[in-house]
Amino acid sequence: MTDGILLAVAVVLLALYVTWTAGRLDRMHARVDAAWAALDAQLVRRAAAARSLLPHLPAGPERAALDQASAAALGAAEQDRDLVENALTRAVRGAVPLLPSSPDAARALAELEAMAHRAVLARAFHNGAVSGARTLRRRRLPRLLRLAGHRAMPQFFDVEDTALPPDRESAA
Amino acid sequence: MRVGIVCPYTWDVPGGVQAHVHDLALSLIELGHDVSVLAPVDDPDTADLPSWVVPAGRAVPVPYNGSVARLAFGPLSLTRTRRWLRRGRFDVLHVHEPMTPSLSMLACFAARGAIVATYHSSVVRSRALAVFGNSLQPALEKVTGRIAVSPAARRTVMEHLGHDAVLVPNGVFVDRFASAAPLDGLPPGPRVVFLGRLDEPRKGLAVLLRALPGLVERVPEVHLVVAGPGDPDVVQELVPAALRDRVVLLGLVSEEDKPRVYASGDVYCAPNTHGESFGIVLIEAMAAGTPVVASDLDAFRRVLDDGDAGVLFPVGDADALAERLAALLLDPERRRTLAAAAWRVVHAYDWHHVARQVLAVYEAVAAATPVTLDETVDEPDVDDFGQDDDPTRLSETLRRWLVSVRDRAVP
Repeated sequence: MTDGILLAVAVVLLALYVTWTAGRLDRMHARVDAAWAALDAQLVRRAAAARSLLPHLPAGPERAALDQASAAALGAAEQDRDLVENALTRAVRGAVPLLPSSPDAARALAELEAMAHRAVLARAFHNGAVSGARTLRRRRLPRLLRLAGHRAMPQFFDVEDTALPPDRESAA
Repeated sequence: MRVGIVCPYTWDVPGGVQAHVHDLALSLIELGHDVSVLAPVDDPDTADLPSWVVPAGRAVPVPYNGSVARLAFGPLSLTRTRRWLRRGRFDVLHVHEPMTPSLSMLACFAARGAIVATYHSSVVRSRALAVFGNSLQPALEKVTGRIAVSPAARRTVMEHLGHDAVLVPNGVFVDRFASAAPLDGLPPGPRVVFLGRLDEPRKGLAVLLRALPGLVERVPEVHLVVAGPGDPDVVQELVPAALRDRVVLLGLVSEEDKPRVYASGDVYCAPNTHGESFGIVLIEAMAAGTPVVASDLDAFRRVLDDGDAGVLFPVGDADALAERLAALLLDPERRRTLAAAAWRVVHAYDWHHVARQVLAVYEAVAAATPVTLDETVDEPDVDDFGQDDDPTRLSETLRRWLVSVRDRAVP
């Protein structure tokens, strides 16, 4: 009789724990999704800010490279997003030294710097959420019971941060 | 933005985290944001509480990280934290030092939505994490954005949590320090200033006191001005009777007088032995235009630009300290050069600049956090009907629930 009660209590506790873990896992995935949406939006804003440098640049290979890279970044699919963003970072790095010292160009550059800085933040928070979800998914219980269902393992988003000017780099 | 900030340490006891939270809140309010700070307060009646601080009750002293931290952690604190969260309806919750068992950790347990955590210390081991291990993870994983105030704190976050943190330095109201006048009534002659708890070993007052005889030998008319709370016995112990009149003890100084204390020194000395992850005192002294002599801890070395903006000496080495203090006191030209270099460093730490960096983090975190459905549900504020702050409320609720269960079971 007591064995039966103990067993029932154990089963209930285990069921509660599994439900709670599944809920936690679900929330972690929701965080990853939200963080990716934010990062995606911020990368698009960065690409748009990079495009607004174009009118200030003299014609030449750097301007063409920035034109092409920023257009690619605006229309990038999720799979090759990291490569496209790195290409944009390099194109920006090549183009910035050619900017004239006009107030308009300075304003466009400041806007790009702010957007790049925010993209760095968004990427850090996205990768933080990914790391949390991955840690939980790798634990025994979620793996054994397949609590994550059919959801793909969240992936880190790795890109260079070099679109930032030196003073921002030290701050970010 | 509606911002809720949780300070884990007792508000009416001075400390680095408390000062940081205070200044951050002021800067955010100045920028037009709506800020509420939840903090343990020992005596809400006598403490001079700003209107935006919500007291969360008394805290108990706990030895932690080589010193004594005063923490609030328990069912009553949790109830108050919940109520504060419910009433605040914050866009962003900003907790400080959530790795200590404190209000910050309770807030992480209780809150939903966008949470930012700032890590101040660079403790090598978190005792809380070692004891509770994975059971704290569910609270900590709710944090979307992490801020570290120093590279050392950032390394700690990465090693213990496996997460990156954004580096946003501590801030200083530069103007307040730059415009300060020296205190009245101090002895004339060159003065070395120290600010910090007298009896906290890692602040290193003992090192400075041991350096005093060597310093007086080289600069006979020098005085030490020591500002900070604590037991002055250490002075009696370490300073020979003949030199005791060289040490001026100011005791605990008010926040208003602090800039004047810095401005009173010809040199500011930070002889800290360890445990300092940032070194806000250095920035404050530099903002007041006082050249700094500091122990060569990593954090100090970084703030002082590897010795370009201040003088470094080997940690704990009283002889080297005496020698370097004397050399600087006898060289006004070098003091001017250092003060000018320090002024250039200080601007990156001005709150005006730092608060905007924190705001950028808030916005990024708010954008990266899913909106949960239950967050939008209006919960009835039960506490409005009950007696406020009644510790028996929980047991009363439990009793009523048991009665209702019994009534249902026994018709």
